[in-house]
Amino acid sequence: MNREPGTKVYRYAVLTRVSHWFWVVAFAVLVSSGLQIFNAAPYLDASDKSSPTHRVFAIGSPSDGVGTTELFGHTFTTTGWLGWTDDGMGGKTARAFPGWITIPAYQDLADGRRWHLFFAWIAAACWLGWLVSSAIKGNLREIVLRPSDLPKLWPMQAYYFKLRKEPPPHGTYNPLQKAAYTTILFVVAPLVVLTGLALSPGVDAIAQPLTWFFGGRQFARLWHFTAMLLLLGFFAVHTFQVATQGIINQLRSMITGWYRLGDHDGVGP
Amino acid sequence: MNRRLFIATGISSALTACSPIGTALNDNAGFHHFLGAAQSLNHAVIGTRGLAREYSERDIDWNFRVNGLPTPTDATYEQYVADHFRSYRLVVDGAVERRGAYTLDALRAMPQVTEITRHDCVEGWSAIGKWSGVRLGDVIDAARPRADARYVVFHCMDRDDQGTPYYESLDLHEAHHPQTILSLRLNNADLDPDHGAPVRLRVPTQLGYKSAKWVKRIEVVGSYANLYSGHGGYWEDQGYEWYAGI
Repeated sequence: MNREPGTKVYRYAVLTRVSHWFWVVAFAVLVSSGLQIFNAAPYLDASDKSSPTHRVFAIGSPSDGVGTTELFGHTFTTTGWLGWTDDGMGGKTARAFPGWITIPAYQDLADGRRWHLFFAWIAAACWLGWLVSSAIKGNLREIVLRPSDLPKLWPMQAYYFKLRKEPPPHGTYNPLQKAAYTTILFVVAPLVVLTGLALSPGVDAIAQPLTWFFGGRQFARLWHFTAMLLLLGFFAVHTFQVATQGIINQLRSMITGWYRLGDHDGVGP
Repeated sequence: MNRRLFIATGISSALTACSPIGTALNDNAGFHHFLGAAQSLNHAVIGTRGLAREYSERDIDWNFRVNGLPTPTDATYEQYVADHFRSYRLVVDGAVERRGAYTLDALRAMPQVTEITRHDCVEGWSAIGKWSGVRLGDVIDAARPRADARYVVFHCMDRDDQGTPYYESLDLHEAHHPQTILSLRLNNADLDPDHGAPVRLRVPTQLGYKSAKWVKRIEVVGSYANLYSGHGGYWEDQGYEWYAGI
């Protein structure tokens, strides 16, 4: 195979591209409807049942016009951003996350759940469908971090920090990409799905060890929220990378499948 | 224009577009209905299987959180409280062969079960209580549901500020779950008015709004479509799922 820079290679199969964009939509909906749901009980406890003595995070409004956020016992004034925010109907009110970031914009737990419990299926289907299909086709090994990649992690980071002129030789994905994708696909995605399921009293009755494993229902809520933050962090780094590493080529390849190889791009695992 | 600034602007506008687009779709009746399709999937996949976790005495919330519609204040309920519910009757009727009207003492004379289970509110919080009472399945079986019976509807004494009464429903399978009980006691004492006295349904395998307080009548029906707004419960009529296992 020609690996010369400038060569176009067919990098992303139809399933990869379709599941990628479905996942983008599902993730956006799940975060905004999830924050809507969070607003109904805007606190997270590291315990099975709700317990103010185990409270890790809380958003509140101690008085009209004031919003506060409490993290590990430290209280911050967050008026306008968290606690006292946009009510989604043109006014301000005592509300944890603002209307401009929730679905629907106004406070409505029933509809937030409706969106969340629908798109949870889409996100889970994209993740599992892609994982199974890639494992069957064999190209999962291009993206999974393996022990031989470990010594290359720092050199790759050094390259990003401009401490090194050349990145270490690698295949389709560089060692840091492999580390990030492996963590997301095999740690964070299962965590977000399982902690979500652990919140359901019906699932808890079927699989009691699941909710117990996460420390109980309220603790599972805390893990679910944390997994969301990790996914948001990945999303931020991922979009930054896409935006700075040849955005046209990157976007086109995730739409048409064809990717133009850069100076250091390899092909294969 | 700086390309990075352009990209950053593009991404942030895409992010801030989520809520308005989602809100517009949410207000579209067809799309709203379409989203509800996941409910039957959740019901089919999760359903009512297995047993809710049971806890030990030390896990109990002795000051159990009071939530839901306000405690009834009408003359009938005041009278019940005044005479310690001696004039209260739990009516069982509808698609049954043997209608019933139970006094509190009659319910107390039936086999009692005690369970320490977690109450999971749809809002997100949880509390643990010790509930004692009668298996709902025993009461339903005693009434001998007819062949056309499918659901059990709970009519309650509480009303919202519009005067709409609270009600809930379960299917016969859920009604026969061993942990689904008509609780008479909470945390070693008879239920007090704020916690649903004299009879509160407890469904630990589903979210808290299924666990109706102040139950006065159990109606066995073939369909709940002609009751109130037709969705099988007070909160269901306001958009919450009938299947509350998730």
